[in-house]
Amino acid sequence: MSTQNQKTRTIEEINHKILKGDAQVLTAEEMKKLVESSGVEVAFKEVDVVTTGTFGAMCSSGAILNLGHADPPIKIQRAWFNDVEVCHPGGAVDLFIGATNFCEKKPFEYGGGHVIQELVAGNEVELRATAYGTDCYPRTAVKTTITKDDLNQFYLLNFRNCYQRYNCAVNCGDETIYTYMNKLLPHMRNATYSGAGEFNPLMNDPDYETIGFGTKIFLGGGQGYIIGAGTQHSPKNLNGTLMVKGDAKTMSPEFLQGAAFTRYGTSLYVGLGIPIPILNEGLVRKTAIRDTEIFTDVIDYSVMRRDRPKLRQVSYAELKSGIITVNDKRVRVSSLSSLKMAKKVAQTLKDWIDEGQFALTSPIERLSLDTVFKPMRQTQEIPFVSNVMHPAVTCMENEEIRVIAERIVTKSVNHIVVISSDGKLLGIVTSWDITRAMAESKNVLADIETRKVITAHPDEPLENASKRMAQHNISALPVIDSERKVLGIVTSEDVSKLLGR
Amino acid sequence: MARILIRLNENLVPEPVVSEVILENNILVAILSAHINSKGGEIVLEVPDEGVDKIVAAFRQKGATVTVPKLIEVNSDRCFSCGSCVALCPVEAISVAEDLTIEFNKEKCVGSVCSICVDACPARAINSRFSNTENLRSSNGHREK
Repeated sequence: MSTQNQKTRTIEEINHKILKGDAQVLTAEEMKKLVESSGVEVAFKEVDVVTTGTFGAMCSSGAILNLGHADPPIKIQRAWFNDVEVCHPGGAVDLFIGATNFCEKKPFEYGGGHVIQELVAGNEVELRATAYGTDCYPRTAVKTTITKDDLNQFYLLNFRNCYQRYNCAVNCGDETIYTYMNKLLPHMRNATYSGAGEFNPLMNDPDYETIGFGTKIFLGGGQGYIIGAGTQHSPKNLNGTLMVKGDAKTMSPEFLQGAAFTRYGTSLYVGLGIPIPILNEGLVRKTAIRDTEIFTDVIDYSVMRRDRPKLRQVSYAELKSGIITVNDKRVRVSSLSSLKMAKKVAQTLKDWIDEGQFALTSPIERLSLDTVFKPMRQTQEIPFVSNVMHPAVTCMENEEIRVIAERIVTKSVNHIVVISSDGKLLGIVTSWDITRAMAESKNVLADIETRKVITAHPDEPLENASKRMAQHNISALPVIDSERKVLGIVTSEDVSKLLGR
Repeated sequence: MARILIRLNENLVPEPVVSEVILENNILVAILSAHINSKGGEIVLEVPDEGVDKIVAAFRQKGATVTVPKLIEVNSDRCFSCGSCVALCPVEAISVAEDLTIEFNKEKCVGSVCSICVDACPARAINSRFSNTENLRSSNGHREK
């Protein structure tokens, strides 16, 4: 080894400094400013650890609880905490609460995330359980209240946390939609994004040089560990995730908060922070990353497909400014995750290290750098509107009703779509409208056409279009693109041929 | 300035009630929101403090129902400053402070007739007068009669 390569330090050396109380710890925010003002070499000399943090809705979170045995004992088959059903993946009294399972009495509003927060806060929750009864576990029902102190084990166990970055969501459709990216107003009247950008732990160590299996972390206000890459871990496109575990009894309800997303359901906001040991100058450069260098896609969530249209790339700097421009339109954008809390996580972790309460660990195994996130294997494809739609029979607004009536007969259809000269949707006329016009001696198309047309999009599942027809008691939907250009028509006959109803 | 909520029944919809009240009392008002169809309507007006009593009396005389709507209430203990509400607010009454705390400007807020932010709060920290009613949670934020 040449002496030039000795620009390194080890985790052992840093831990020794932490014990003596003279380790230099900066938050990610402070580190970026230092590197900008003093350069990489100085920052390497001065800084031992950089603390990162994120605080966002992490749906794949949950907790494992061991209740201890009842007398007589019960092997739980189904169980509920505050009316939120939990699963019973193992032995008699081990339960798993998932953050997104919600309460039968308060659907979408109160769920597993809230139960976890209440338990962490020390509150009493109601347990109900039922069982089939066996010779060794004779009891068939139990009802009691418990707090975290009554549990043998209460582990937070999150199988996908800490997304490296996330999408920015918009809605190009005509109606407000409620998604896991929260409320999206029609015609891109707002946008939402998630993630802490330059404060995110994985963004500050994108090659997972120090973050790996066995790394000790800040988790929910307590201490936890990374126990591997998270599900859907996709490092090649900077969508890394973590699986984490920690003792929930030591955590705090400030950093684990139950949440409700209207018409989507419940989740858990998790505070997660990772200390990054500055072992070399490369890590100085990595922890100096800025929001201007971190990009994500703006995605149209109105398209109900797995692969939704990407409208453009934006940087986290643009997102955090509150305004982005998409297709020449200024769109106001809000964060779903809390940057304020993300910074508080990084600051708290820094304080712990400064006070000698938190030592660093070396990972025992590195996170994968090449896992890919595959789509589901489907043995049956579901039909979309584009699979069954056919050309629409159309007319212009200035055509005579008699001519339109003739067209209905010769083309043998029930619906005529009224279009403008550039092919855009104006209205719809049915054979019933024509009949009524005859009865009421009306001659002008404008008097009988329906202008508020219920439509379908080609990328929509046929099932959805079918439901909309039933809901509005109609038998056809013009299919239009995002510019309201008529692409075709889908009728209830098409639906029944394919879906058999 | 004070905000008042005017409700018109279907008989009043075709009448120029607002214009009449303005002309007869010689007090200017700002229309902050108006939702009117053939069955009735709701209008939120901003009225100078000194003219509120006269304006309220004038609308009542014409048969309209007048109430002073309660503003949106924010429970700051529950809010964890995610900011989901910020971009939704049509009057930019919600902003992000220097320290990244989310701030509500009660002066700017249109009040419970808008409520567009209420069902977007994951912490359920925002409440309005109508927040417990099903029609608010399932509407696009604007209450319809």
